[in-house]
Amino acid sequence: MVGVYWDISWHMSIGRDSFWTPAHLLIQAGGLIAGLSSGYVALTTTFRGTPEQQNAAVSFWGFRAPLGSWICIWGCGAMLTSAPFDNWWHNAYGLDVQIISPPHTLLAIGIYSIVIGAFLLTVAHQNRAEGAEQRRLAILLAGIGGLFIMNFAIFLTEYSERMMQHGAPFYDVAALAFPFALVSISRAVKLKWPATAAAAAYMMIMLVLMWLLQLLPATPKLGPIYHHVTNMVTLAFPLWLIAPAFAIDLVRHRFEERVAFPVLAVMCGVAFIAAFVAVQWPFARFLVENPASRNWFFNAENYVYWASPGYVERSHRFAPDISLVAFLPQLWKATLLAIVSSALGLNRGKWISRVQR
Amino acid sequence: MKRVGRLAAVAAAALVASAHVGSPNVVFEGAAGPYDVRVVVRPPLVVPGTADVVVRSSSAELRRVVVRPVFLCVGVAGAPEGDVAQRVPGDSSAFAAQVWLMRAGAYSVYVTVEGARGSGTVVVPVMSVATGRLGLSTPLGGILVVLGVALVAGLVTIVRAAVGESLVPAGESMSRPARRRANVIAAVSLPVIAMLLFGGATWWKSVDADYQRSMFRAPPLVTTVSAVGPRTMLRLTADSGDLYTPLAPLIPDHGKLMHLFLVSEDARSFAHLHPLREDGAFRVVLPPVAAGRYRAFADVTTELGSAVTLEGSVVAPQPRIAVADGSPNDPDDAWITSRAAATIAPGAVDSVAPGLAIAWSGGAGLFTPGHDTELRFEVRDARGVVADLEPYMGMPGHAVITRDDGSVFIHLHPMGTISPTVQRLFALRDKGDTTVNGRLRIDDSALANTPAMNGHAMPASGALSFPYEFPKPGRYHIWVQVKRNGRIVTGAFDAEVR
Repeated sequence: MVGVYWDISWHMSIGRDSFWTPAHLLIQAGGLIAGLSSGYVALTTTFRGTPEQQNAAVSFWGFRAPLGSWICIWGCGAMLTSAPFDNWWHNAYGLDVQIISPPHTLLAIGIYSIVIGAFLLTVAHQNRAEGAEQRRLAILLAGIGGLFIMNFAIFLTEYSERMMQHGAPFYDVAALAFPFALVSISRAVKLKWPATAAAAAYMMIMLVLMWLLQLLPATPKLGPIYHHVTNMVTLAFPLWLIAPAFAIDLVRHRFEERVAFPVLAVMCGVAFIAAFVAVQWPFARFLVENPASRNWFFNAENYVYWASPGYVERSHRFAPDISLVAFLPQLWKATLLAIVSSALGLNRGKWISRVQR
Repeated sequence: MKRVGRLAAVAAAALVASAHVGSPNVVFEGAAGPYDVRVVVRPPLVVPGTADVVVRSSSAELRRVVVRPVFLCVGVAGAPEGDVAQRVPGDSSAFAAQVWLMRAGAYSVYVTVEGARGSGTVVVPVMSVATGRLGLSTPLGGILVVLGVALVAGLVTIVRAAVGESLVPAGESMSRPARRRANVIAAVSLPVIAMLLFGGATWWKSVDADYQRSMFRAPPLVTTVSAVGPRTMLRLTADSGDLYTPLAPLIPDHGKLMHLFLVSEDARSFAHLHPLREDGAFRVVLPPVAAGRYRAFADVTTELGSAVTLEGSVVAPQPRIAVADGSPNDPDDAWITSRAAATIAPGAVDSVAPGLAIAWSGGAGLFTPGHDTELRFEVRDARGVVADLEPYMGMPGHAVITRDDGSVFIHLHPMGTISPTVQRLFALRDKGDTTVNGRLRIDDSALANTPAMNGHAMPASGALSFPYEFPKPGRYHIWVQVKRNGRIVTGAFDAEVR
């Protein structure tokens, strides 16, 4: 995931790349390490595994390994398949015409699978463990959950520009993705505040990468250049998901045992929207309109080298600019989506909490 | 209004089009500061893509060559820093580099050479357009299918394990109903995955269709022939293609808004005419060339730096006036009719006028596709001595090359295949290089008179050399046009490229 972030930053500031950029190597290395180590686990479990290891594994075409390992191997396979496909794609339709293209989607699915595989591998241990060990594994899971949320957040970057954060489409896509991730983590990870911890991990990872990468010098190597950048441009300040995550954890604490599943889904969905809008709306106003946000810390001047002067000018205001009260009625769709997404998250969280192998 | 619309179509198409037909490689020859250089640019098939640049000089002093792609829209101010070209192994006079062309439109490669006698820069215009589509090769397709099938099979197995065995506590065995449930869910997942794959395939198809739409296709040239008194008038318009590009006015190249070339199907008749814009269309008097079908190639240049060739055909009627009486409507019009060409070989000569001949002087005349070559000719007087020439539309000579099936057409000069007007456009852009994203505002007069180009001072010697790369094997026709004693003469040659 660090490789993905770095690669995006590379494209935002330098532009020209090859298979051998450090960011690409990091992505590929991440995939290969996960795939190869999982392959090693599969081989040792199958041929030299103790009865205990064998019992905590599932069969796959005659081999045995934990479910998470198979998902990691599959993810690595998807990433490897995407490489020749992507290479051909660039030759056929141009070099990185789109970020979201079929081969890039396959690559993204591969990366997601590895994160999910790692999550499930740890979940199975957590679900079997007890006491202090279970807690240690749960903390680890919150960290992996942070990466999982980061997957979604990065995929939705194009819908999440700060000027869009006073518009319905942003809240719609956020409501589709994040309640699912936060609710399933909240239900699956055996901590007191699991979603809050995972959202905090997401924000910290994004912030550390944002702050550190900006320190590296960079010069655009592709034209036309509209904005002469001198250091790495990074993704914007992360979304304040810690607020809705806390709200979801709170709802679960208070009501999980007391209300039926559909009611709980409605409560989680509404809590998500209420908490998220309450924090993100004013913060977006700060990022867009307040010059105090245009610095290294808040990173509200993260213009890519191809950002035209018109874009820069547009990025300093909301169009149209409406008040939060006037905007509230537009949130009905996002609220519905958040409820559906929460229901799916509750369902999946329940499944995860049952995974044993 | 309709006519204006048609002209708009010509101009709009020009924005996305490339000059010449079937011959995308750019060859430039001229002076960069104190050094003579030859620059070959081979543009990519797709955009964004990388163009290969080869820079040569007869001077051995070149120490460093830097190439830099400049997009006309943003000029030098918006161009990335140049890249140092590397010496080509085994070829001491050549430097090679790649430049990235990111947008469709007019680019120039700025080539800066440095050596003991200082440095110099030349501007080599290159049109950046998608011209081809790459198919999926069978081996690659096969590998992708095998990997894809393995991924699908793996995914189904994972689903089955996820809803079945993974939920069973370690050491216990799966119950029969649980096993059945897992198998059912796995079976159901298969059509779901198939639907997702179908969605992916649809997506791919739509990207492919978009790409094909954005590929360069010049609108066809529509020609109408009509009798006006004793003369035959030719009227030209262009049918619009996809009009998704903004409009750009045409600007003159070599002092003319359009250069029209007519090539008879037997290649024995040839005309180089300069239609005038009138009422939204272009019109020209058809010279008294032999009756029959002609291929028509019309070169136009836009303010946005695109040089485009429009293609069409003309059926010329039987001339109703004697050849000698065919007075052109532009003094720079010239044609030949029903004349056999000389096949290029040592000693090949075409006697173009009494006491004037154009001779091939380029040696054996063996040509290989994809290699830059010199097409050398000498204009000789009655005594067989190389004659002095007058400039013909600002150039010592013009050459037109077509492949016998019409799949290749190019109009070039001793300075190469580039348009000097587009080169000048970049120079003007650089002078006023203060705006970003702005349209260039220049009046036609700035471009009407092309200055004498680098290294081709006038009057010129009758020893001419045209740098060119034949794009593919085949039989080619070459016409060489020069001006002497106020008269334009045309030499006709054939060449075999293997």
